[in-house]
Amino acid sequence: MGSYLRPRTIEEAVAQLAAGPRILLAGGTDYYPARVGRPLDDDILDITAIPDLTGITDVGDHWRIGALTRWSDLGRADLPPAFDGLKAAARQVGGAQVQNAGTICGNVCNASPAADGMPNLLVLDASVELSAAGSVRTLPVGEFVTGNRATERRADELVTALLIPKVPDGARGSFLKLGTRQYLVISIAMVAVLLVPAADGSVAEARVAVGACSPVAQRLPALEAALRGCVLDAGLADIPDPSHMAPLNPIDDVRATAAYRLDAALTLLRRALREQGGGAA
Amino acid sequence: MSVTVSMTVNGKAVTGEVEPRTLLVQFLRDHLGLTGTHVGCDTSQCGACVVHIDGESVKSCTALAVQAEGTEVNTIEGLAKDGVLHPMQEAFRENHGLQCGFCTPGMVMSAIELVRGRPDISEKEIREGLEGNICRCTGYHNIVKSIKAGAAAMKG
Repeated sequence: MGSYLRPRTIEEAVAQLAAGPRILLAGGTDYYPARVGRPLDDDILDITAIPDLTGITDVGDHWRIGALTRWSDLGRADLPPAFDGLKAAARQVGGAQVQNAGTICGNVCNASPAADGMPNLLVLDASVELSAAGSVRTLPVGEFVTGNRATERRADELVTALLIPKVPDGARGSFLKLGTRQYLVISIAMVAVLLVPAADGSVAEARVAVGACSPVAQRLPALEAALRGCVLDAGLADIPDPSHMAPLNPIDDVRATAAYRLDAALTLLRRALREQGGGAA
Repeated sequence: MSVTVSMTVNGKAVTGEVEPRTLLVQFLRDHLGLTGTHVGCDTSQCGACVVHIDGESVKSCTALAVQAEGTEVNTIEGLAKDGVLHPMQEAFRENHGLQCGFCTPGMVMSAIELVRGRPDISEKEIREGLEGNICRCTGYHNIVKSIKAGAAAMKG
């Protein structure tokens, strides 16, 4: 290893980052497996001893998810039903031990096209809080992640939290993913759906995102527009059609062909909408 | 460059001088001689290296020893008390929950966290909870049976 630092405060951490770039280490569930068979020789900034990065807090008009919030913390957290999709992702990622170590912020920063957190955070309109020495900025999560393994984080910045605006009462989220097995595999396709009901039983607002079918998970605005105003029942499953999938750009790889991915995403969307509309998934 | 790391392992305070890159599993096996914790895959998949940190199961092949500073670590060697097996170990023995035994320490450590407070855990919940532990001998049948029995025994 090059040098190893384990600051106790955010101020200390950003001062250390200002002195030069470092690998940021939290749960490590992506860090170590990417380095098997070669020495760990990076300069590391281990953020796991910073108490101010822990916890999920209600901050008036939004929720704040600290950078050290692990999947298992999220899975157990008392949050409104809009978070049900994110919580489902938290309980399905990697297996219990990975959930006890890996963080949702790390999932975002790792910027895998198949990151389970991303579609859920997109439908929650989440932002990323980036702290540097003397400054803090926030970016919508869809702008923060710019491509496969690429983010807008500058080398002197630390992601300190995810910020999620409050969602109207009655909003509910859900998440479905497809892989060759349920756990410990990289997903072929995944969908997150968040519906806000109107008083008359129709859909007041629909937010839909698909992961693992483009370099960065994408919202589907045309499908969202098509769902708005529809009766919120199992008939919602009939709304998605292939034209709504235009923002996606899946690849052919060892896990699936592009055509299969698109078909799987469409099927998952229909299942998620049927289930949200009260039908059997 | 080496750093001093201190933690409690199986109830005993331990201190070691390690390079920061030292993984927790290397510290346990190579520095403390606790070789019951196994390394199967190095990539957070197989679960042979599962230990408890402050009561929660984690994969010790994917944590630095220095990240466990100040914590309570429990390994398979810490389960038996005064020569009497932990109820979960006893359940694995009674139900033949192993064949080659390589995955067993991780299976037992994962099982103990999984069933805590759930004496009536269902087979489905056990199978889901074991997703992070891979066994290539048993087909899991007797492991699931063992964990069900262990869960019931831990209640008493």
